[in-house]
Amino acid sequence: MTRQRTRRLLEYLFTVWIIVTLNFALPRVMPGDPFLYLSTDQGQEIARFSEAQQDYYRRQYGLDRPLAQQYAAYLAALAAGDLGYSIYYNQGVTAILLQRLPWTLLLVTAAVALSALAGCLLGSMSAAFRGRALDRWLYPAMIAVSEIPAFLLGLLLLFTLAAGWQLFPLSGAMTHFAVYASLWDRLADIARHAALPVLTLAIVRTGGIYLLARSSMAAVLARDYLRTARAKGLHPLHILVRHTLRNAMLPIVTRIFLSLGGLVGGAILVENVFAYPGLGRLMREAVLVHDYPMIQGIFLLVTLTVLTANYLADRIYGRLDPRIRENAAEAR
Amino acid sequence: MTALNIAYGSPRRLSRLTGTLSAGGRIGLLVLIVLLLLSAAAPLVCHHSSRETSGPPLAPPNAAHWMGTDDLGVDIWAQVCFGARISLLVGIGTALLAGLGGALAGILAGYCGGWVDRILMRLIDILLVLPDLPVMIVLAAFFGPSVWTVIGVLSAFSWVFTARIVRARVLSLKQRRFIQAAETYGAGPLYLMRRHFLPEIFPLVAVGMIRLAGRAIVAEAGLSFLGLGDPTSRSWGFILHHALSFPGIYYTAFWKWWLLFPWLALTLVVLSLALIGKDFENIADPRMRSH
Repeated sequence: MTRQRTRRLLEYLFTVWIIVTLNFALPRVMPGDPFLYLSTDQGQEIARFSEAQQDYYRRQYGLDRPLAQQYAAYLAALAAGDLGYSIYYNQGVTAILLQRLPWTLLLVTAAVALSALAGCLLGSMSAAFRGRALDRWLYPAMIAVSEIPAFLLGLLLLFTLAAGWQLFPLSGAMTHFAVYASLWDRLADIARHAALPVLTLAIVRTGGIYLLARSSMAAVLARDYLRTARAKGLHPLHILVRHTLRNAMLPIVTRIFLSLGGLVGGAILVENVFAYPGLGRLMREAVLVHDYPMIQGIFLLVTLTVLTANYLADRIYGRLDPRIRENAAEAR
Repeated sequence: MTALNIAYGSPRRLSRLTGTLSAGGRIGLLVLIVLLLLSAAAPLVCHHSSRETSGPPLAPPNAAHWMGTDDLGVDIWAQVCFGARISLLVGIGTALLAGLGGALAGILAGYCGGWVDRILMRLIDILLVLPDLPVMIVLAAFFGPSVWTVIGVLSAFSWVFTARIVRARVLSLKQRRFIQAAETYGAGPLYLMRRHFLPEIFPLVAVGMIRLAGRAIVAEAGLSFLGLGDPTSRSWGFILHHALSFPGIYYTAFWKWWLLFPWLALTLVVLSLALIGKDFENIADPRMRSH
């Protein structure tokens, strides 16, 4: 058991190393060169750097040194938490990431919480009334919902609720230049801006959690120990909380951790639909302007977060329920 | 096993297959076939060019342009028809490449075992935990935006799903009596593969390929939507990207045709593929029906 756990950890560390190395290698072979053009803004004359300036900047960023040296310097800086200096934003990458990260975290955590709640609730109801009208309508509807890509749903909500009926703001995370009378006004403004992106991500994820909750609840409800519990005359609420939910929740909790990778992908697209100033929007901007250190920083942050979540899910599996350890590998 | 029969597809067998599909699966199949025909016959069904101005800019749907035109006066119906080619190409290409590659890797890992299996499984584990979209964005930018690199990147990431399922099935098959019996009678690996493994594996791969096609179409649309796709191929995602880059899109009614139609096309394809995939899952493995 302990040996297996160490092996898992080593595997994850190996994956981390691969990501870190990929992260180093990819931007260096990307086409395009940030030092080639001074400005390529639309409508403006294209201005080029001179040879001397190009050489100067290459030296400045250490891009003229041998690759091995660059790699060593990169690892050393990474260990110190230094992700480099953004060429485009003219600011430290770590500082920009810390600025943008809270917005993405807000979206993701709110969406996870909402979808878990809604998915479990609907799934349990569906399982309890299996085969009745509610279940017959909810099940296909949820399958359809779980298949719709997040950014398509986001576009639908954006253009109906925000652009059409103007119930929500179109873009951004806060009203520009607004002066808030109180903290509550400020929070309300943030909530109004976050509502649609969160709703989009939550709806898309609810489908998957609903399906899992439904089958998990149905499996538990069919168990003999529930009949025993009822026969003993236990209070229905007690049966629901202690006997049913507790057992049915196990696969759902781990699924929530495991599906974080997919959620990150959805969040990147949805942030761009709503022009929400999180990491996803930053990533797109950085790729479009070939801001190497910025791309590296975001990529690293995102992948390492997802890896950590997966590792935690791996550990939680065994902790919560030894029975499902065998299926753990297949469940994904 | 029914899914297998399509491979050797005679019309009679195909009709038997449609008989086993649910209503949703039939609608999905119909939508897909219509789209395939539309994209194949795009030059015939579109009177206007998909790239050149053919009317007034931003015209609402009318008799000449029944899906309207975009800001350059390009017919949207033509763009949707020709865009279908890109989406279907990406979907089918990725499904074939990743499905066949994954099946091959799965068979190799399962049948050979040993170090081949260990290396492949480590690789699969690594690819599985990597969040795909960020990697795809970085890789698509790195390889330069073209439809073929999008297909390549998507395949490089999605073969793992097929490989895992196939490997598990091969491993369980290897333990079965009839395989062991065949081996004692002197059946070689090639014979075993052809007569015993492939027929069992094919339905799994077919189901996997439908899933892969759906994922690939969505991923390509997402990349193009971000403006990171192939700018020369006007896929549905690119139309969305182009429409959203139009400054007044939020404050005018233009989105009611400019965005709506490519959006509808994408949603329809994704849902159809999902419906067909669900049915195929049930056919290939009736045990999944309980879900």
